[in-house]
Amino acid sequence: MSMAVPAPAGTTGWRARVQRFGGFLAAMVIPNIGAFLAWGLITAFFIPTGWIPNEDLAQLVGPMIFFLLPILIGYTGGYLVHGQRGAVVGAIATAGVAIGGFIGTEIGGEVVQTPMFLGAMIAGPLGGWLIKQFDGRVAGRIPTGFEMLVGTFSAGILGAILAILSYWGIGPVVAVVSNAAGDAVEFLVDNTLLPLASIIVEPAKVLFLNNAINHGVLAPLGVAEAAEEGQSILFMIETNPGPGLGLLGAYWLFGPRSIRPSAPGAIIIHFFGGIHEIYFPYVLMNPILIVAMIAGGMSAVLTFVVTGAGLVSTPSPGSIFAYLAVTPKGEHFGVLAGVAVGAIVTFLVATVILKATVREVEPVLDAAVATERVPA
Amino acid sequence: MTTISGNDVRRVVLACEAGMGSSVLLVTQLRDRLAGQNVEVVHSPVSRIPPDADVIVVHKGLEATARKVAPEKVVVSFNMFLGDPAFDRVVEAIKQGKPLEG
Repeated sequence: MSMAVPAPAGTTGWRARVQRFGGFLAAMVIPNIGAFLAWGLITAFFIPTGWIPNEDLAQLVGPMIFFLLPILIGYTGGYLVHGQRGAVVGAIATAGVAIGGFIGTEIGGEVVQTPMFLGAMIAGPLGGWLIKQFDGRVAGRIPTGFEMLVGTFSAGILGAILAILSYWGIGPVVAVVSNAAGDAVEFLVDNTLLPLASIIVEPAKVLFLNNAINHGVLAPLGVAEAAEEGQSILFMIETNPGPGLGLLGAYWLFGPRSIRPSAPGAIIIHFFGGIHEIYFPYVLMNPILIVAMIAGGMSAVLTFVVTGAGLVSTPSPGSIFAYLAVTPKGEHFGVLAGVAVGAIVTFLVATVILKATVREVEPVLDAAVATERVPA
Repeated sequence: MTTISGNDVRRVVLACEAGMGSSVLLVTQLRDRLAGQNVEVVHSPVSRIPPDADVIVVHKGLEATARKVAPEKVVVSFNMFLGDPAFDRVVEAIKQGKPLEG
């Protein structure tokens, strides 16, 4: 079996599972990305260090991150499980967690506030699932005319109970976990170990785990950090469009001749449109190129660490335009330097690899074409 | 492995992980190529492929998930987002009413 084809289904059952789980997490977040951007723009403009500081409008920042964003995620999570009713109960449950996060949890003698993104990802689907169980149990047993009454009261009572349980139970646990994860990230940043993350992130990304990693793991931690510090480097670990640009650039100039013409279009869709998926196949058709992606990713993260760069919100889709929109004032050098370094390093390493292996690549591509005709 | 005649295809679903990124890009391309064919081209997250899909088009990396979600459907997978022969295969089958396997 040629390497151009990502491993067949049987060997990648774990991947399909992780993908489905990650896909579920991402599906809670991605439909609400517009709200993240709105929050990011308001933050970038109006906080004291923003473009046009405005004390009055800066008051929007806190409530939006503590309430609007988590409740949207919880609502969507509930909706995914059980439609509109699931969404309502999920949102009520999430409100309990979110309010607890706003009031704060005492950790090590200090009251720590937590924007409850992880809490929302638990409480929302949980609320949806519980009301789904209830609806399943009573289906067909409600006397005619009482459907609306039962529907309203079941959602209301279950929601009220869940809001309290989330406030007391889920919130504090998530606060402790978020806090510990935040400390771990801080440790990695302080000791310049964060670039090592690319060794995991870049291969996982081209296996289509990109959304799971970014929206499921890095962005929630990043949002918690951004709420405290005004920016976070975690938003840039997975989303950096630099390495993909470098890879496609190398293919454009030094790739197999049959592939070169597709590279410029892919560059536009990737770098400006922010759809990173477009470059994954170029890595998968010659998997050793993952070395170039890791090298570019690590160099970029190192650049971000050294320059102290960060973004105010998650740049999604990972387009250079989204990057510019959520770069805090005065931080453009570090952010753009990281993107450029990522592109250049990946380009150079990929060029070396392509020049060394390009003859091996051609038959592999033919094999890929052949498998299309002979269904696997 | 399932087969459908190109004549019976009414709804082609492009699936990607989130259903909002790469699949949307492909919908635009495929819709143009299938203009005037009485075929609807839509996008969806791979985990929630709608039950009325006739043909599912998905990247190789998500093929296993797609087959699990929609085991009875024709699933056509592709390697490259631009210019992959898999797209030609789908378009040709629909335009000429030929059987489409996947």
